[in-house]
Amino acid sequence: MKKEIGEGRRKLEEELKALTGNLFVPEAKVFEMTCGCVGFTSDLRGLQSDDVEVFKDRINALLEEISKSVGVEPEFVYARKLPGSEEVVTLTARELCERCKREFAGSKAPPRPDIMVLKKKKR
Amino acid sequence: MQLIIPHPGHFSALKEIIETKEAEGLKEVEEVYMAGSPEVMGSGRATLHAALIEDIKEQTAYAHQHHVKMNVVLNASCLGGYHLTFEGYKMFEWYFNELNKAGVDGVTVAEPYLIELLRDLPMETVISCVAHVDSPQRAEFFEALGADAITVDTNINRNFKVLEAILRAVNCGIRVIVNEGCLYKCPFRYSHFNLFSHITTFRASFSNARAQPLNTFGDYYFDKCISIRVRDPSQIIRSPWIRPEDMREYEAIGIEDFKISGRANTVNWILNGMQAYSSRAYEGNLLDLLDCPAELKDMFFIDNADLAGAIKQWKGCKKICEECRYCDELTSKVVGEIKK
Repeated sequence: MKKEIGEGRRKLEEELKALTGNLFVPEAKVFEMTCGCVGFTSDLRGLQSDDVEVFKDRINALLEEISKSVGVEPEFVYARKLPGSEEVVTLTARELCERCKREFAGSKAPPRPDIMVLKKKKR
Repeated sequence: MQLIIPHPGHFSALKEIIETKEAEGLKEVEEVYMAGSPEVMGSGRATLHAALIEDIKEQTAYAHQHHVKMNVVLNASCLGGYHLTFEGYKMFEWYFNELNKAGVDGVTVAEPYLIELLRDLPMETVISCVAHVDSPQRAEFFEALGADAITVDTNINRNFKVLEAILRAVNCGIRVIVNEGCLYKCPFRYSHFNLFSHITTFRASFSNARAQPLNTFGDYYFDKCISIRVRDPSQIIRSPWIRPEDMREYEAIGIEDFKISGRANTVNWILNGMQAYSSRAYEGNLLDLLDCPAELKDMFFIDNADLAGAIKQWKGCKKICEECRYCDELTSKVVGEIKK
């Protein structure tokens, strides 16, 4: 698992750099939440929401590939912006618990204004 | 009964809130509220969206088409004195005028000076709970400054004598927040509002617009607040939330306006609360409805039905927990730990 997370972080940084220019992925991790969600998430510095919109398909594919490599089914893929700004600070692929399927991924609108939904598995 | 609904700020969220209101015939939904621009002022709570005037104008027009009022929340507890500079005065005056031109129905503020600035505008001036109106005397001060409505300090939500005294003392509207799950008499309340007021504005320093944003190492107050309740769940029961079923007790004394808190939550979380409070009933974990201790709903289960009747005790509560212990006993009966 250590190897896959490290490779995932490097791959994400390299590919995003190639797409958008200078950026930095200081941290990548696999997490489990008390509600039952599990996921892969990466912190980012230098990525902006316009980049995510333009390269949405490629970013999605990257996140899907990396999350599968660490054993996470990428049911819900999203970018989180710094509230009130266009700076994207995390990219996450998450396997959702039943409650978060309703609460976090169940609305037609993005769940929160700082979340950009990149992929939502149809229920 | 009128319900005031939190709006996270993005237009698609407003559309979904209004669609749900109309599809389910929730006629009690009267108003939505959203944060204003962080470029102008911070806010007492987490703010996830930076609404431009044009955005607010468009959303207000949409809300009006659907007979819903729009309120913009600018309830920073601390402005660092900027409002009392000529530059600050001009900016806030300009912003309030722009909101007025955008068709906004009301503005929620906590700072007394801003209430006076709003006096000459037709928008409703609503006093935030961040102003801590907890007595008839304080309510009178704010009404004299220009309040059209006051959202009372949640610490008095279960003090019916004080609520009734406030209702007698002022002519302006009185609002209660129904689902704030904050600690009763929280020692962090002022500091936490102040922290949010500063970190939710783009201007980290009011005197230096180009200053770097604060780089805090974490939200000390939030982490402490959750930890306190994990160690002592009776603090969840003592929190001054109001069950959907208990709103009738408030209507009986003359309170008609009920505000749901939680504008930093997800759209579906907001819809769930809107439906529960509109129908005055909820089946399930009360913690699903409460704003603030969202993490706790993964640890504790409180069957809302088990709390039926507790309001009778709380209405006459003397707030001397050491002598009473009602909430401690109730906690042992109704708060269950979720086993995983």
